[in-house]
This record gives sequence, C-alpha cells and structure tokens, in this order.
Amino acid sequence: MIKGTLVNLRARELTDIEQSARWAGDEELQRLMGDRYPQSRAATEASMRSYVSRPLSFDDPRFGIETRDGVHIGGLRLMDVSAEDRRARLAIIIGEAPYQSRGYGSDALRTLMSFVFGDMNLNRLDLDVFGFNARALAAYRKCGFVEEGRRRGAQYTRGAHHDVIIMSILRDEWAAQQAAGEVTR
Amino acid sequence: MIRGKLVDLRAPEMSDLDRNTRWINDREVTQFLSLRYQMSLAAEEAWMRDLVSKPLSYDRPFFAIETRDGVHIGNTNLFNVRPAVRHAELGIMVGEKEYWSRGYGSDALKTLLGFAFGEMNLNRVELFVYDFNARAQAAYRKCGFVEEGRRRQALYRRGAWHDLVVMSVLREEWASAG
Amino acid sequence: MIEGTLVNLRAVEMSDLERYAVWFNDPEVTRFLNKRYPFSLAAEEAWLRENTGKPLSYDHVTFAIDTKDGVHIGSIAFHKAVPEDRRAELGITIGDKAYWSRGYGTDAMRTLLRFGFDEMNLYRIELTVDARNERAQACYRKCGFVEEVRLRQHRYAEGAYHDTLWMGILRDEWAALQEADEVRR
Repeated sequence: MIKGTLVNLRARELTDIEQSARWAGDEELQRLMGDRYPQSRAATEASMRSYVSRPLSFDDPRFGIETRDGVHIGGLRLMDVSAEDRRARLAIIIGEAPYQSRGYGSDALRTLMSFVFGDMNLNRLDLDVFGFNARALAAYRKCGFVEEGRRRGAQYTRGAHHDVIIMSILRDEWAAQQAAGEVTR
Repeated sequence: MIRGKLVDLRAPEMSDLDRNTRWINDREVTQFLSLRYQMSLAAEEAWMRDLVSKPLSYDRPFFAIETRDGVHIGNTNLFNVRPAVRHAELGIMVGEKEYWSRGYGSDALKTLLGFAFGEMNLNRVELFVYDFNARAQAAYRKCGFVEEGRRRQALYRRGAWHDLVVMSVLREEWASAG
Repeated sequence: MIEGTLVNLRAVEMSDLERYAVWFNDPEVTRFLNKRYPFSLAAEEAWLRENTGKPLSYDHVTFAIDTKDGVHIGSIAFHKAVPEDRRAELGITIGDKAYWSRGYGTDAMRTLLRFGFDEMNLYRIELTVDARNERAQACYRKCGFVEEVRLRQHRYAEGAYHDTLWMGILRDEWAALQEADEVRR
C-alpha cells in the first residue's frame, strides 16, 4: 500500500462492496461525483468484481482510502491516463461522513501526488470540480491545484446548469512545493 | 443530408475508406488532431465498418463533409453527447488540404452547430484545440466559440509540452449571433 | 437512492423478485396496466435480470418504491426518454394494496417528476391512463398532469372497449407548482 500521514492508499477489495454500494445510494455524494442515477447493489458488485481481479496498473489505477487504523473511508482513481502526454485526471470520494472536512481527503490527495509524480512519472494531474462544490475547491487549492478555466454550464443538477472548473497541478509546481517544505512528507 | 452553404453533411459510407485512411496517415493533417500513431487500412476499415453499421443518432452523430459538387473533403462529429446536461464535444478534420482556409471548414462547423442547437436541442458545444493551431482557433472564434481556459502542458508533441485550449459556444450565444 | 417525503426511489434488485411476481399476477393490481396475461416466475426473473444487469441511465430509468421504513411497495419508471425532445413517458404501479390511497403513489410521482425535471433536464413528461381509473387520474392531476387527449375505444378488456387518456406536464408548469408550494409553506 501507499502510506500517507492520516491515510493509506490500497488496492480495492471485494470486501469494499458494502460501503461502495452505500455511497452509490447516497444522493448528495453522487451529485458531487457527477452521477445522477442510483445504482443497484448488483451493478455495484458486478463492476467491483470485474476490476478487483485485475492488478492495478498505469492505465486504470483505482485505490481504496483507508485510515491508519484500517477504516475504509473512501476511494480514489485516475482516469484518461496518457503515457505519451504523461497526464491523468483524478476523482476522489470520501464517503464516510465522520471523515469529511477533517484533512483525510487532503492527505489522500497529497499521498496520491507523491505517487503520481514520484512513481508513475507523470507531468500533469488534473481534475474537474463543480462550481457549487466550494468545500472541494478549497481543499484542492490548498493542495496546490490551480484553476485553469470554467466549462460553462457543463453540468446539470438541481434544475439548473452549473460550471465545471478545471484544476491542475504540474510536476514542477509539485516539486517546488516539496522543496519549500510546504508538505510534510 | 444536412445542407450548408458551401458544404453538406452526410452519413459516412464505406466508399470513404481510402480517403479517410490517406488523411489520417498524413502528418500535416494529424498534427492538429489527437491521432499520434499511423493507422493501417485494415484498422481503418474495421473502424469504418463499425461506424456505418449503425444509423446516425443522438449518441453518435458522425458526418462526412462534402462540397456542393459532391467532393468528400473531411469529417465532423459530435461525441460524449450527454442528454441531461445537453452538451457535446465537437471534432472536425478537413483532410483535403487544398480546401483549407477557404471557408469550407467554417461552413461545416456552422452547419453542424445549427444541427446541434436546432435539432439535437443541445445547450453547449465544446472543443479542445492545440495551442499551436492558430488557424483553427481563429475559425472557431469566428463561429462564436469562446475560450474558457487552457489545460496547461496537457499535450506532448514535437518534443515539447503544449497547452490544450478549451473553447465552447452556448445555445443562447448561438441564437443571438444569428 | 432518491429521497421523497413518504418514499425513497432506489434501483431494482434481484431480491425484489418474489414481490413483483405476486403483484403482477394480482388482477386487482394489473387491471388498468398493460398486462393481460399471467406472468410466470421465470419470465419475471428474466425481466428482473435484464433490468438489474444494466446500470441506470437516461435510457433506462426504472426504480423500486420503498417506504421510509424500507418496505418495498411498487415500482416507477421513465420509458422512451428522447433526448432531442427532452420527453419521457412515466409508468407507476403500487403493487402492495395496503398502500393504495394513502399518498404513497402521489409522493413517488412527485419525487420522480422532480428527478426528471431537475436531474434529467426533461422538458415534458407524459403518461397514459385508462379512462376508468379515476383514482389514478386524481393522483396525476394532483401532481400537475393535464388531460390532453382521449383515445376513444383504445383498449379492449373485460368484454368491452375502453378509452385511454393521454396526460402531460411541462417543465414550466412543474416549476410554477413548486413555487406555489413554497409560498404555501
């Protein structure tokens, strides 16, 4: 597993199904992830079964986020990983309410960034965040992500269009952060 | 087919195969597209067979661009079409270089946008264009696309990092531009 | 899941099979539905397998209706959603007769209407109802549906021809109803 300060990143297991199914049924969590349709437990289980049996790799790394005490609190994955362009898009969810807004998500992000730049040798890590998700925006900014632009009206929920903000961090920026000791690692 | 002023948009056919293969193996053409690797005729044929096997639809509106004289000069399509958000990404390739910078690409774009807003009932059309593709950016701006931001160093080409420019046009802007 | 006031809407699961098999073989329940013939358990199971096999999406919106206590009482769905026309057809069945005429059907409808307009970005929602089904028509009218067409002698059942009504509700009409409800509260 990949060790952080508050959390570790580990491979997903079948035993994650119960929690994943519960998070997939939580309307508000799903809204923040950009999903609008609830998923059956059967579908959650089927999709988990298909990817836990494949080893993690460059193309589609999906992690479970676990506290140092072994409590499974969320998930993290990289998408659209391009070897030639050395970039990836990230999606993160802290599904367990008691662990939200307490630094666990940020620690998972920082741990991932060390892995992405230090082990996967990528040059760029980016993400999409909805304009209405103020909490996530603040957390990403604190980790060093920079806002690159707003895709206007690129999401629809709660009866209206919302902007999708593109944020990113480049290798050089992360390295400068490390050098300045802004991140305790 | 969908009629423009200089071009028409029609469904792709297997008889487009040789031209498509020639264009996507021409590095002058593909330097601006997300295609990096050469494509064999066999691979292109397999891809085309899959494309023409299904009728054009909301999920896959892929068009061949033909001049009014019936010359096939390129292709244009919408993809990642999302019904609830009413949003799609646009791609265009004018493969026949002698038709560059003569208004054919712009007309194909305007025709497709008219279809996207007027028939598919979309709210937003976006595209990503390479920072070094100044000609395309100018053409997109003329059609009403607005730059929203740049994905920095999102691309590695010709030995260097490049930005991907994010541009979009919204329904209300298209309508008022006439 | 999607939360209403009296009910929640969730994805259908294989474990719903027994109840569906009972409901769709109950002539009182199916009297005004489009189901003429008795259903075998095997056929019901095949339908359920097909339905739970695909994830919910714009083209596939079928929900189970649960009370807030988790009792499964029926199902509700959008059929034939057309993205260009932003239109879908709605169908609802309250299979557990103990929950008829107690506001559960109305709440399920309102919850799905809100999902259809506020999350799927539909413009028009429509349905058909047997002209003899007064109870259902009252529920639909309460939700804002307006009678648009009467198809004369559209359906043959119980030895005679019966009319079918088309009812529809538009986005603006729904929004106006919501505003009126806000003012009342």
